[in-house]
Parts: sequence; structure tokens; C-alpha cells
Amino acid sequence: MQGSLYLAWRYLRHHWIKSTILVASITLIIFLPLGVRVLILQSARHLTARAEATPLLVGMRGSPLELVLNSLYFGTGSPEALPYSDVDALDSMGLALPIPLYTRFRAQGYPIVGTSLDYFAFRDLTVSRGGMFAMLGECVLGTRVAEQMGLGPGDAVISSPESVFDIAGVYPLKMRVAGVLAFSDSPDDDAIFVDLKTAWVIGGFGHGHQDLAEASAASGVLRRDSTSITANAAVVQYNEIMPDNIASFHFHGDVGSFPVTAIIAVPPDQRSSTILRGRFEESSGAAQIVVPSDVMDELLGTVLTVQTFVLAAVVVLGMGTLATAGLVFGLSLRVRQRELMTMTKIGASPASIRWLVVSEMVVVSAAGVALAFLLTALTASFGPPVIRAVFL
Amino acid sequence: MSRITVVSLVVICACAGGDEPRVSTPKDGDGTPHAIVTNYPLEYFAQRIGGGIVQVEFPMAGDGDPAFWQPNADAILRMQSADVILTNGATYEKWIDQVSLPMRRVINTSASFTERYLEVVGTVTHTHGPEGDHSHEGTAFTTWLDPGLAALQAETIAEAFSGRWPANASAFQDNLTALRADLEQLDQDLRSALTAMRGVPLLASHPVYQYLASRYALDLESVTWEPEEMPSERAWRAFRDLLARHPARWMIWEAEPMPEIRARLRELDVRPLMFAPLGNRPTDGDYIAGMNANVRRLGAVAAQ
Repeated sequence: MQGSLYLAWRYLRHHWIKSTILVASITLIIFLPLGVRVLILQSARHLTARAEATPLLVGMRGSPLELVLNSLYFGTGSPEALPYSDVDALDSMGLALPIPLYTRFRAQGYPIVGTSLDYFAFRDLTVSRGGMFAMLGECVLGTRVAEQMGLGPGDAVISSPESVFDIAGVYPLKMRVAGVLAFSDSPDDDAIFVDLKTAWVIGGFGHGHQDLAEASAASGVLRRDSTSITANAAVVQYNEIMPDNIASFHFHGDVGSFPVTAIIAVPPDQRSSTILRGRFEESSGAAQIVVPSDVMDELLGTVLTVQTFVLAAVVVLGMGTLATAGLVFGLSLRVRQRELMTMTKIGASPASIRWLVVSEMVVVSAAGVALAFLLTALTASFGPPVIRAVFL
Repeated sequence: MSRITVVSLVVICACAGGDEPRVSTPKDGDGTPHAIVTNYPLEYFAQRIGGGIVQVEFPMAGDGDPAFWQPNADAILRMQSADVILTNGATYEKWIDQVSLPMRRVINTSASFTERYLEVVGTVTHTHGPEGDHSHEGTAFTTWLDPGLAALQAETIAEAFSGRWPANASAFQDNLTALRADLEQLDQDLRSALTAMRGVPLLASHPVYQYLASRYALDLESVTWEPEEMPSERAWRAFRDLLARHPARWMIWEAEPMPEIRARLRELDVRPLMFAPLGNRPTDGDYIAGMNANVRRLGAVAAQ
């Protein structure tokens, strides 16, 4: 038997191109369905984990999927905004801790997430360098944002204008980096966090400017009487919030009308969650409440349906490949008729010759299976980071 | 967003996620109940009610007026780590819109009587942009000068402490009862001292006595003078005009005015009367002692 294995091994080495193709084919036949399944299961687990860690999400009526993807993964395509008064209304119900999110803006492609301090406790996020944002105009960076932008505490990051052609639009705000968050292996690593009020300043709902009562601001004054000063467009507005001008920053209008894109609602127990959902479902208001894990389960159901089609295609392809491999073996036996006859003439028994051929098939198959399992293990270990590095 | 796009992106999106265990933020401090306040009266009330159970911190350094304090990032980070942040409300903390605080832990101690807020009149508004007229004027904020309102603020503090640390609720309630008794006594003393001044024209060097005047029906008009800064001749002319229509003989000051001001006031037959608002810590004594000193000075004037 050892002799048969040796002869098989020598034969396969001699015909290495054919052997390699056969091993690669078998590897792919096994790896493709296994690898796809592992990757999808991992992805589903990660998606579900983030969604399950977010009990309820309130947003404007519309696509629940867009609301969940924007609020959990900070994707582009900001959902329609809710008024901030909805946060207060939710709080006053006493059924859940409301955590507002305002994710409309970006800085060099990274999402700027305006939120409250409760968000960090809720997501178990800690600051690894510097400190938490304390003053208007400060931000904390996710780990990967800090790494990729080469920024740390004390540096600055500038919000991106929404459109270069919108000269009357949102002014860029230069924000001081107060700290960098510890690595959490989540979308929070790829975001820039600011206080909700800082996000509103970026959105133009608040601003700071020269003291119009001072002589230096005379050119910015359109009209002045005993009780009021009317400024013109020349008044100097600050695009960076610093200790010497922070007192001039203020908001105009009713804070309750200011926008948030979503509210994470964290009920203390299942009963509160059920009552809260019931109230939204009974209401004919403009807001909706969704359970992110339900939305993601629905999405994953679609993904798994697609996976079934992919697997069916791979199985059909595999069967075709196996048939081709069998054909290759069969044809090679016919080509090797003289070689096998020579072996018979020099005294090899028919059983030895059968063992030789079987050994070749076993070696090729074993190598293909081993390689497929190795690739599957590698995919399980390194698939998400590699995909993240290549695509994100 | 199309469903196909979403489905095709879902694996990529999900790969950004992970399920490794995360390290929780360690709780700041040693677990001692910790409250931060924004002025001295609140510090005094919180200390009386907390009774040593709650560590009360007033982070403003120096002897300035806390109403015009601009806390720095360190002070705000201290507040972020506190269990309870007690604010005076009534626009006292003008910086509150410029900082990041855990709003559920911020207790506005005057929230229970917002309908009794008094407006500061005569401030300047300005207009720019599409929003129309707006004003930076505030509400009168020295609420604690009305002992009745001060008692309501103390009740809010006791309620906040009891809600946060229910095991000590009865101790907080007992301490509140004692404080409320002191404030009621102060109210009676002030009423007695000010009875003779009811309806008598009075002046104040600063517009900070609105709640005192409102509670005790004082006929009070204010200017905006500093005790250590000589007013301009224009201000003195306006003062004479004011005296012509509001013939006051006493002018209430937050601190002793400089001798030159006293001399000019004497020429106009106006005598200064010190009434410390106690927004910041007194150099000696406490809130009740400081207010009692105010009562004694008022009593001496009433006796004349």
C-alpha cells in the first residue's frame, strides 16, 4: 500500500499541472459554499448583535430599513428629521431613555454624529486618549477616524460643506478634537461624535458673531435704535468655537423645532417597551417606532434567500466540476493504458494497479478538501477585517 | 435605498461590526454621592439637605459673580462625572447652551415656579439673518432673595436627592424641614424689617433685587453701577433724572460703594444700604448668617 501511495505521489508530482488543476477545482467546489455560508453567518451575527443592542428606534415615518441603517451604521442617505420636541415628549412619557441622533453632516467623508452623552454609556464606549467633549465645538473621534486622519486630542477637524455650489448654505465648522474613543470594532470607530448642539451649530441653527454693541462691529450694523440692533450680512460670524468667543454662541428659534434624525429609545424593561410601541402604533403622528432587530431579521431573511440561490448554483457548478474531474481521471487512465500494461508485465497485480489509481484520487481529493477547510478557517478568522480594509 | 443595493452591501456593512467584549467605563470617583452646584445659595441648600451624605461641589473658583461665570472644560468634565447637577435656572447659567452635560442629571431648581419668573427690562435686542428680532435679554435670576422661592428650590433639591438616593430619603426630608424652618424665619424677619419701607421709593445699584422687591412690595428702581467703579457724568445726569421722578433716599448696594460714590450720593441726599445677594460664598458665615446681616442693616435703616 505504501508503494502504491509512493507511486501515486510521484505520478501526481510529475503531472503537476493536471494535479494542481484537479486540487484547485475540488478546493473551490467545497470552499465556495462553505466560505459564503461562514461569511454570511458571521455578518448576520454582527449585524444582529448591533441591532439587538439597540432596543427601539424612533424616526419619521418612511423606510424602517433606511432609518436603522443610518442610525446604527451611520450610512449615507439621512432620513427625514424629527423635531427635538419629540425627544422631550418621549422623555416625559417616562417609558424609555431617549438618546437623540443627528447624522446629517460629514467631515472628509466620515459621519459626524450629533448626540447626547448618554450614547457613550449606552454603547459602552470609553475615551482612550484625551477626554470627552465638554464645550460647544468639541468632538471625539472613533479609533479608525483618528488613525486614518492622523489626528489626536488638541487637533482640529473641519465639517464638510453639504454642497460647494451652495454659497448660502451651511458654513464649515472647525471642531477641536477633545479625545479619541477606544477601539470598539463597531461603526462607532468610523464616526466623529459631537454634542447635539454642536451639530445644530453646523446646521446653522446656532452661531456666534461679533458683539453688535461694540464699535468694531459698526460695519455689520444695518439699523440701531434704543432697544434693538439689526445686523446686515457683513457681520462677522465665527467658524471656530474658542474660549474667547464661545459666550457669543447662541441659538435662534425654539429648540423644540430643531432637527434630529432618529431617537434611540432605551426602555428599562419589556413592559415599558411594549407600552411605548403600543402608543406609537396607536398614534397617527408623523413618527414611527421600529425594533431594529426585527428590521435586520427581515433584511437577513432576504440575504439568506439570496444565499440559498447562490448555494444551489454552487452545488450545480460543483457537480459539473466533479463530473469533469471524473472525466479527467477516466481519460488519463485510457492515456495510461500502456503504462499500466507495462506495470502488469513487470509483475504488478491488478489489485496493486487499482490501489495505485485509487491512491491518486484519494491524494488529490484529500489535498482539495484540506485546502478548502483551511481557506474556510482563514475566512472565518480574517474575512471581516479583509473586507473592511478593501471596501470600507 | 434599493433593496438589492442593501442586500449586496449588507455583508460589507456587517464586516465593520464585531462582537468582541468591550470594557465598560469605570464609575468616576469612590461611589460617594456627588452633586455639583452653580452658585453659593444652591451649595448651601444642598449641603444642608445632603447633611454629609452627599458631597456637594461648587466648582467656580474666586470671588466673582457666578451669574457671569464661564466654566472651562475641566469644570464641565467634573459636572459630567457628578450624579446630580443643580442649576438655578431662570437663565442664570447662560453658558448651559454652550457645554455638553448629561441633561437627565441636570436639575433646574426653579423649574417648579417658572410662571413666577420676573423679566429684566431694558436690555438690547438685535436682528440678523432670516430669523427676525431676537433678544439676549434674560429673566431675573436671583430667585433665592425671595425666601419663599428659595424654599421651593430647596424642595426641588430634596426631591432630586431622594429620587437619586432613595435609601436616604427620610434624612433628606428631615434636613429639608429644618432648612425650611430657617427660611420661614428669615422671611418673617425680612418682612418685619421691610414693613416700614413698603411703598417708599428705593434705588438699587444693580438690577438683581427683583424677587426681593416683588415679595415685600418694595418700590424699587435699578441702575447698573459697580461699587468700585465711578459712574460717568452722563450716568449721574440720568441718575438725577431718575431721582426727580423716583425720589429715593436709600440706595441698595451689593457691596460697599467707593468713598467718591458715597460722597456724590450724599450730595444728592441718597444714602447707601448694603444688601449682599450672596450669589458667591460670603467671606465669613453662611447664607443664613449673611441674610441675617442684611436683615439687621435693613432694620437699622427702618428704625431711622
